[in-house]
Amino acid sequence: MIKIQNLKKSFGTNEVLKDINLTIKPQEVVVVIGPSGSGKSTLLRCINLLESITGGHIYIEGKDITDKKNNLNKMREEVGMVFQQFNLFPHKTVIENIMLAPVKVRNVPAETARARGLELLRKVGLEEKAEAYPSSLSGGQKQRVAIARALAMEPKIMLFDEPTSALDPEVVGEVLEVMKQLAKEGMTMVVVTHEMGFAREVGDRVIFMDGGYIVEENEPIPLFENPQQERTQAFLSKVL
Amino acid sequence: MKNKIVAWSLLLVLAMFLTACGSSPQDEGSEGAGNAEDTETKKTLRIVTDAAYAPMEYQDKGEVVGFDIDFIKAVAKEAGYEVNVEHVGWDPIFVEIESKRADLAVSSITINDDRKQSYDFSHPYFQSTNKILVPEGSDIKSAEDLKGKKVAVQNGTTGQAAMDALLGKNSPDIKKFEDNNLAIMEMESGGAAAVVADNMVVEEYAKNNPDKNLTVIEDSAFDSEFYGVLFPKGSELVGEFNDAINAVLENGTYTEIYKKWFGNEPNIDVLKEQQ
Amino acid sequence: MDFRFDIIAEYAPFLLKGTLLTIGLSLAGILIGTVLGLLIGLGKMVNNKLIALPFSLYITFFRGTPLFVQILLIHFGVVPAFLGHTNAVAAAILALSLNAAAYIAEIFRAGIQSIDRGQMEAARSLGMTHGQAMRHVILPQAFKRMIPPLGNEFIVLIKESSLAAVITAPEIMYWGRAMAGQYYKVWEPYLTAALIYLILTISLSFILSRLERRLKTE
Repeated sequence: MIKIQNLKKSFGTNEVLKDINLTIKPQEVVVVIGPSGSGKSTLLRCINLLESITGGHIYIEGKDITDKKNNLNKMREEVGMVFQQFNLFPHKTVIENIMLAPVKVRNVPAETARARGLELLRKVGLEEKAEAYPSSLSGGQKQRVAIARALAMEPKIMLFDEPTSALDPEVVGEVLEVMKQLAKEGMTMVVVTHEMGFAREVGDRVIFMDGGYIVEENEPIPLFENPQQERTQAFLSKVL
Repeated sequence: MKNKIVAWSLLLVLAMFLTACGSSPQDEGSEGAGNAEDTETKKTLRIVTDAAYAPMEYQDKGEVVGFDIDFIKAVAKEAGYEVNVEHVGWDPIFVEIESKRADLAVSSITINDDRKQSYDFSHPYFQSTNKILVPEGSDIKSAEDLKGKKVAVQNGTTGQAAMDALLGKNSPDIKKFEDNNLAIMEMESGGAAAVVADNMVVEEYAKNNPDKNLTVIEDSAFDSEFYGVLFPKGSELVGEFNDAINAVLENGTYTEIYKKWFGNEPNIDVLKEQQ
Repeated sequence: MDFRFDIIAEYAPFLLKGTLLTIGLSLAGILIGTVLGLLIGLGKMVNNKLIALPFSLYITFFRGTPLFVQILLIHFGVVPAFLGHTNAVAAAILALSLNAAAYIAEIFRAGIQSIDRGQMEAARSLGMTHGQAMRHVILPQAFKRMIPPLGNEFIVLIKESSLAAVITAPEIMYWGRAMAGQYYKVWEPYLTAALIYLILTISLSFILSRLERRLKTE
């Protein structure tokens, strides 16, 4: 589904990603963990080409998204992204936030987009907030709307960039619940998170990154209980 | 809300108005001394002018000079006053005179009935004739030909008054500029068919810009305009100055000054006829 | 001091016509200036420095020289070059629009740059093009933030349109000057002109504050 080959990314002279190789299979949930500054968020942003890459290739369903000949916007439609800071559009209601891209990008009729949007809101448990503005929602509610908004484009893969890091502890659960549901339905997901419980429970595979490299990757249980690398051990001993 | 706005606007205008009026009474004291009958201790008169109209009045390296200045100094001397001439600009002249902060003004100011309603004038001391400046080859040959054409003038001048009379007061065909240079530039840029201004202005300009191929047209249809010394309404200086002006006209001083600035003889009889 | 209401009455029809022209000049300046300002603001924000340079120079010139000078240059230089003769109203509209555009371009730029980067990223991640993201996400939000400084610019524009009197565009100040020239009176024309400008700017402030309040509650 996604194949990353020799990916490199530098900001000026600071090399953030050094030779990343990663393959993600359909319906797989990959959780990326690692200390801050390890490059895990940058990796996610590169997959969506929010950051231009310095070297290497990223293939989504066989198409090289780094090839200038391919339509980048078309590619992005296939990849949903959820941000740490939600990034809802504050001047639009919840339902308008969800409808905007389908209507403007896919030319879906407004009525169809609205019906589909309400369905998605029901799924994330916020149907009654359809006409509310984002400013009236709690952090957890905002993030659930953001997930519904990304899903409205019917992406083949969903990227989550620390989706619970900006939330109060008591609402983290409701967001993780929605993500678990999504995983159960067979969505391909890449999740950057500090929620080790989620990684263990939902992840098919866990990737530990440090210093711009993938240091270790394995299924959750062996990785958490029997890490092979020293750096993984050091990190896990601090967060668990 | 609407009422509030109206109330505030009125209050503001009132405040400005009071400031405008308020300044005059304070100065009345010094002005009173000037008007005193006691001729033993004559004070120094404050004379204001807009020194931007050569050769009538202009600044020569910071000093106010010109025909008007020489003339008023001679008249004041005749009347027995010391004077202090100050360049204040055109609009401020009328504020200074109206509030009586200045005793009199001399600045090529044309005497007319509209202005007499608010100020007193001396006897006429200078005759000016308007002339028409046109590009060479223009089909305008006389004042009559100006009708239906755009004419550029300097605001507040006799040329403007003449055009208001000829083309209709505030006709859209009259373009009133801040100074004659702008008016002439407007004609050269194709925005006006002619410029009407004081003879010395247009002649001086045509003479100094021979490359521009301009023609000066004289027309007897233009009434002569007369300049007067401007006083606050009811000033007691008017009588004294009228006597002094007549003395200067008759004793040859006027002719001397006139020749110094314009190189030819003045027509004193015309001025006397106007009295 | 006698305040001559009769000469104000005499000039009332001219001042009224002048007021209409002042409103017309200001409106034209605002509308053309806003459209032009948006384009120039966007032009200056282009990443390619070579493309951004002319827009940058434009803003530098129109913000760095007095409007008074711009009006004279446009009246005697630019307009005759196109029309073959001067046209005071056209020159006034052109000068006010071009001048306002430079300030409005900077207001747009500041407004757009004040919007969090995450908004653009979210829009792009949903598959929107840069243009779609600008139109549907960035500009509507930026516009709300631009209203106070834009309103300020509009008020400045109304007042600065008085400079058009110098090229004889018959707006309020032109008739004020004509009145002063005829009667050699200063307070009557200028206080009247001040009052008219005040009414215009207060009305505009009122409309703008209503608009601001309405957008805030949305």
